[in-house]
Amino acid sequence: MKFTEDEIRKITFEAINELGDKATPESVKELVRGRVEGLGGDYKFEKGDASSGRVILTSFGLNHPGIVAGVTKALGDAECDIQDLSQKLLGDFFTMIMVIDISSSHKDLKEIQEEMNKVAELMKIKIYLQHEDVFRFMHRI
Amino acid sequence: MPYEFEEILETIRMTEIEHFDIRTVTMGISLRDCHDRNIEVTKQKIYEKILRYGGQHVKLAKEVEAQYGISIANKRISVTPISIPFDACSMDEFIEIAKILDLAAEEIGIDYIAGYSALVQKGMTNGERELIKSIPYALSQTKRVCSSVNIGSTKAGINMDAINLMSEAIKLTAELTREKDSIGCAKLVVFANAVEDNPFVAGAFHGVTEPEIVLNVGISGPGVVLEAIKEAGQVDLQQLSEVIKKTIFKITRAGELIGRKVAEKNGIPFGIVDISLAPTPAEGDSIADILKAMGLEDVGAPGTTAALAMLNDSVKKAGLMASSSVGGMSGAFIPVSEDMGMIRAVQAGNLSLEKLEAMTAVCSVGLDMIAVPGDTSAATIAGIIADEAAIGIINDKTTAVRIIPAFGKKVGDMVDYGGLLGKAPVMEVRTISSAGFVGRGGRIPAPMRSLTN
Repeated sequence: MKFTEDEIRKITFEAINELGDKATPESVKELVRGRVEGLGGDYKFEKGDASSGRVILTSFGLNHPGIVAGVTKALGDAECDIQDLSQKLLGDFFTMIMVIDISSSHKDLKEIQEEMNKVAELMKIKIYLQHEDVFRFMHRI
Repeated sequence: MPYEFEEILETIRMTEIEHFDIRTVTMGISLRDCHDRNIEVTKQKIYEKILRYGGQHVKLAKEVEAQYGISIANKRISVTPISIPFDACSMDEFIEIAKILDLAAEEIGIDYIAGYSALVQKGMTNGERELIKSIPYALSQTKRVCSSVNIGSTKAGINMDAINLMSEAIKLTAELTREKDSIGCAKLVVFANAVEDNPFVAGAFHGVTEPEIVLNVGISGPGVVLEAIKEAGQVDLQQLSEVIKKTIFKITRAGELIGRKVAEKNGIPFGIVDISLAPTPAEGDSIADILKAMGLEDVGAPGTTAALAMLNDSVKKAGLMASSSVGGMSGAFIPVSEDMGMIRAVQAGNLSLEKLEAMTAVCSVGLDMIAVPGDTSAATIAGIIADEAAIGIINDKTTAVRIIPAFGKKVGDMVDYGGLLGKAPVMEVRTISSAGFVGRGGRIPAPMRSLTN
């Protein structure tokens, strides 16, 4: 079972009320962990809600061997699921777009973006990661 | 692939190359419950409330930026027009309140907080008079506080007494901030038909009919529209309108998404998306350049008003289709100092104050960021404000004046503020006198709404 940020917030407020004056950051954390796991959920506070759902990865730059390998290896290491991939070459210019699901990853979007920045620097290409919603809102009615 | 290759690349091009960003996410906070007989308690309440609601505003907005890859240029806060909850305050106490607003803004890491305001279109309470008197001191003793005063409305007419007080306040503000090119005036807006949910600082305030707290968003994107028009090439005006509409539709949708997400993260209601095209001093992010791309040699050429009217109308049509939460100003801004194309047009002598005034009849939001000589009289400034307010109340639209009588400067000099406020050439103002007319005082009665020729 997955909890939304709002649900976790609600559980946390309940815990704070229950503990009253005795509430400390540790005791609240402990109580919330118990509640969430009791309901069969994953207790992972460090992951923001950005980690749920699909992300579009766009990369482009001058073509050279190893780009796809470099990007996919980094995604694999982060346990991201590549759901679709499309790639084009215009002369020497390389463009690749991927749809990836990062909900199974142990990293959140920000951390994966940081990983990808390293890859981009190494490969001398540009990589952008954006939540899918922005494309859905802009291009679908 | 759920999206076309071109669609994805178009979005990337907009955000990375064409300066598409969200201009502002503005949190509106009601201060109506912050009054206390003791001014120190009042200040404490204001400070605590702003920090309680706004403390995470910048951090959460930055998270949304990273998540969607769209940058948010400004994170800001607007509050209830200060004169309303604190009507019993004296001038000195109002200045104290301005300082506490400044401190709260600094603490939460925002550049501007707006709402040091009064709504006096019909008449003034004692508190409102005190607030207006305090404005020059408040703006010169704080860095982040922005002020606005509404002096006219279609329902009430134009309060000339308030205009006269405001023109004196503008002159004094210019003098008190003379060390920094009269920057105080860049934080002071005089409105007619002010809207209560405007997210754009300096004119923002959290209206009295608004909820406890709300998140409003202002889109931007002249650069994106400019590129789309250039790409369209030689098409007729109907086709050109289509091009503008398609672009704005996408921008508005993205704007609403970002606004809703920031509101969601803050756990507060989402208010409106303001679909104004707002330029920045960045090259290419200019309304003037759009008008030129539409076919004018320069802004100020005959045809400028028509082109701007069409641009503004197309923006509104597309924005209304894209979002059911359109509000605020929703037009095209034509500030001189914040738009490189406008600055060049003024310097080349192609754009005059009078032409700008005509342009404001068809777009929001008025004579914005106009520098005029420091020796411009208060009566002349009052005349300019009254003209602009008349355009607003007769056409049932918002108009505003943000004018800078730059202390010690003359026509051709520059005022330079850096950042988003940009720089402005001091423009020529007609020196024939308006004193006899504005000096009569009183109120221009509310206009009729039929026989509208």
